Amino acid sequence: MFETFKKHENFRELVWMLAKTDFKLRYNNSVLGYLWALLKPLLMFLVLNFVFSSMFNPKNTGSEYYSLQLITALMMFNFFSEGTNAGMGSLLSKAQLVTKIYVPRWTIIIASTINAGMIYVMNLIVIVGFFVWKQFLPSFEAIVLFVLFSFMIYVLIVAFSFFTAPLYVRFRDLLMIWEVLLMIMLYASPIIYPLSVLPMNVQQVLLANPMAFIIHFTKESLINNHFPDAWQLIGFIVIVVTVFVLSLFAYKKFSATVAEYI
Amino acid sequence: MNKNQVKKSQKNSENIAISVKNVSKTFRIPHEKVDSLRSAAVSAFKKQSYEEFKALDNVSFEVKKGEFFGIIGRNGSGKSTLLKILAGIYKPNRGKVKIDGMISPFLELGIGFNPELSGRDNVYLNATVLGMTKKQIDEKFDNIVKFSELERFIDQKLKNYSSGMQVRLAFSVSIHANRDILLMDEVLAVGDSNFQSKCLTEFNKYRDMGRTVVIVTHDISVVQRYCDRAMLLQNGEMIKIGNADDVVDTYNHKNMDDVEKILNNQTIKSIDSNGLQNRNQKIVTITDIHFLDKNGSDKSVFATGEYMKISIGYEILGECNELNFGIGLHSAFGGQIFGYNTQMDEYRVDFEKKHGEVIIEFEFMPILQGEYYVNIACWGNVEQNHYDFLPRCKTLMFFAIGNKRRYRGFFDISHKWNQL
Repeated sequence: MFETFKKHENFRELVWMLAKTDFKLRYNNSVLGYLWALLKPLLMFLVLNFVFSSMFNPKNTGSEYYSLQLITALMMFNFFSEGTNAGMGSLLSKAQLVTKIYVPRWTIIIASTINAGMIYVMNLIVIVGFFVWKQFLPSFEAIVLFVLFSFMIYVLIVAFSFFTAPLYVRFRDLLMIWEVLLMIMLYASPIIYPLSVLPMNVQQVLLANPMAFIIHFTKESLINNHFPDAWQLIGFIVIVVTVFVLSLFAYKKFSATVAEYI
Repeated sequence: MNKNQVKKSQKNSENIAISVKNVSKTFRIPHEKVDSLRSAAVSAFKKQSYEEFKALDNVSFEVKKGEFFGIIGRNGSGKSTLLKILAGIYKPNRGKVKIDGMISPFLELGIGFNPELSGRDNVYLNATVLGMTKKQIDEKFDNIVKFSELERFIDQKLKNYSSGMQVRLAFSVSIHANRDILLMDEVLAVGDSNFQSKCLTEFNKYRDMGRTVVIVTHDISVVQRYCDRAMLLQNGEMIKIGNADDVVDTYNHKNMDDVEKILNNQTIKSIDSNGLQNRNQKIVTITDIHFLDKNGSDKSVFATGEYMKISIGYEILGECNELNFGIGLHSAFGGQIFGYNTQMDEYRVDFEKKHGEVIIEFEFMPILQGEYYVNIACWGNVEQNHYDFLPRCKTLMFFAIGNKRRYRGFFDISHKWNQL
C-alpha cells in the first residue's frame, strides 16, 4: 500500500543514528563516560577471578583456565540478556517514533539490538586482554567458532525482539516473565559449572536451549579445543535461521497495529 | 477506453499527490483494558466485551499536487486519525491510500529530540528521523541553524534551551527536510509572533514551489487564509469537500446548531430562578422572553446581520399606572453593546390587560462574532425602581460568515474602501 515509503533511502543511517544516540546516552553525565563499557567487565572479571581462583581450588571447577571460560560465558550471556531486554522494550521506549511519524518499526528494533552489540564488542576487548594476561591463545578454529556463535546470539536477539517488541506494547507482563526466564536460563546454561558435572540425559535436555549450546561449545572449543560435531552445528544453525524467519512473520503480523496500542 | 482517454487518465493520476479511497478505520475499545497476559487469558474465555469506535467511515478524497488542503472538524471527528493514516502510522481497516511523493509529517515537532544531547546532535537525529541522509544534513546544517536563530546555542545541551527555542530548532529542521508533501497537525501556533510570520512565509514558499500541504485544524481562520480546498469531517464521515470558504461556512452552520442546543437549555433555567421566585411581591413580572429569527423560530445563535425579534411576555399582578421595558445587550468580555427602553423611544406600553407581550424588532443585527448576554427589566415611571429585572437572562452567540469573520470589534458597520 505504501509503496512510496520504500523509496526512503536512509534506513541504514537511521538505524545507525538511533543506535549511536542510545550508546551516547547510556554513558551520558558520567565522569568516565565510555570507559565504563570497558571498566565494568574488567572489574567483574577481577572479582570473579579472585573468587574462583583464590577461594576455590581450580581443580574443583575442572580447569585451570576456568576464570577465562567463566568471563567469556558471562559476557555472552550478558549480551543475550541485555540485547533481548532492549529489543523487547524498544518500540515502547521509542513511542514517539511509532506514534508521531512513520519510520519502519524494524529500524527501531534493530537499532536497540545494535546498541547491545556495541557494548558486547567493547566487552570483547576486555576479554581479549584477559586471554593475553593469562597467556592463553585459543586455536584459530575456536576463534572462528566464537565469532560465528556471537553472530548467532545476535540473530537470536533480533528474532526474539521481532517476536516480542510489538507484543510487549500490548502485554507489559512480558518483561517480568522474561526476567524470570533469563534467570532460569542463567543457571540452566553451563556458565558457572561445566556441563560434564551433570548426568548425560540432563546434558541433552540442557543443550536444547540454544544459549546453553552456544556457551557450552564456546567454553569447550576456546580452552579445550573440543568442537561440536558438524551435524550438531548445522542443525543448530538451521534452527536459529528458522526461528529468525518465523520471527519475521510474527513481526509482520503484529507490528502493523502497534501505534494503536502504545 | 480509447487511446485519448487513457492518456487523459494517466495525466490526471500524475497530478494527484494523495488519493484516499473508501478508507475506514475502526478502533476496538475494550471495556476493560487488556494489557496484561492474565487479563488476556481471562478474557479469552469470557465473551469479549469491547466497543467498536468508528473513527473514519468510508472516506474518499483526492489532493492534487501543489494544493494547500485543509481538513477541519471538531474534536473527535477523526481528522487526526486520517492524518495518521496518511502518514502511514495507522493502517486503515478498509480502503486504499495512495501517496505520490515523499511525506514529511508535522504531527509533532522535534521527534526524537533528547534533552541530554546538544542542539547539533539533535538536529542530526531529528533530520535523520525525518528521512534526510547525512550528506543532505551536512549541506543544510548551516541553513537550519540560521533559520532557527540559535547559532550561539547550537552546541549547548537541549535541556538548557527554553521551550520556544526548542520549537524553533525543531521547526527549522522540519522545514528543511524538504519533502513533496507536508502533513501538518496544528503546529502553526508555536513560537513568538516574529518567528510565526517567518514560518508562514516559509509555508507559502512551499506552496509556490508546487509542494502539497495538508493541514488538520479546528481553527477556521487558518483554513480560510491558506487553504485552496478543504474538507469537513464529522464523526468520521466526510460531510463536505470543496472550496475552502464553502466548507468553512458549512462548518460554521453546524457549529451554530450545536451551540444552539447547549444555550437553549440554559436560558429557561435562569428565567425560572430569577423571575418567578418572589412572585407575590411583584407588581409586574416578566414571564417569558423569546429571541426569534425571520421564520419565527426561537434561537440563541444568530448570524451577523440577521433579523432578530425579541418578545417579552409579562403579567401584571398589582396596581400600575405606567409600564416601561428595557433591554440591554452586553459583550461577554465586558462593555455594553446597546441599551434601549420604551421610555427613551417614547413608546407607550398598554397596561390595561393583565397579560401582554412587548416586542422589539431589529431588521439587521450588525453584531460581530462572539458571545453576548442580555439584561431585561421593566418598571413604572422611574427606571431605578424595577418591577422586575432579569440580569444575564440570556446568552446569545453571534457567528459571522464569510470574510466578516475577520472583522474586529463588536459591530459590522457597513463601509467601503476607496482610492483617489
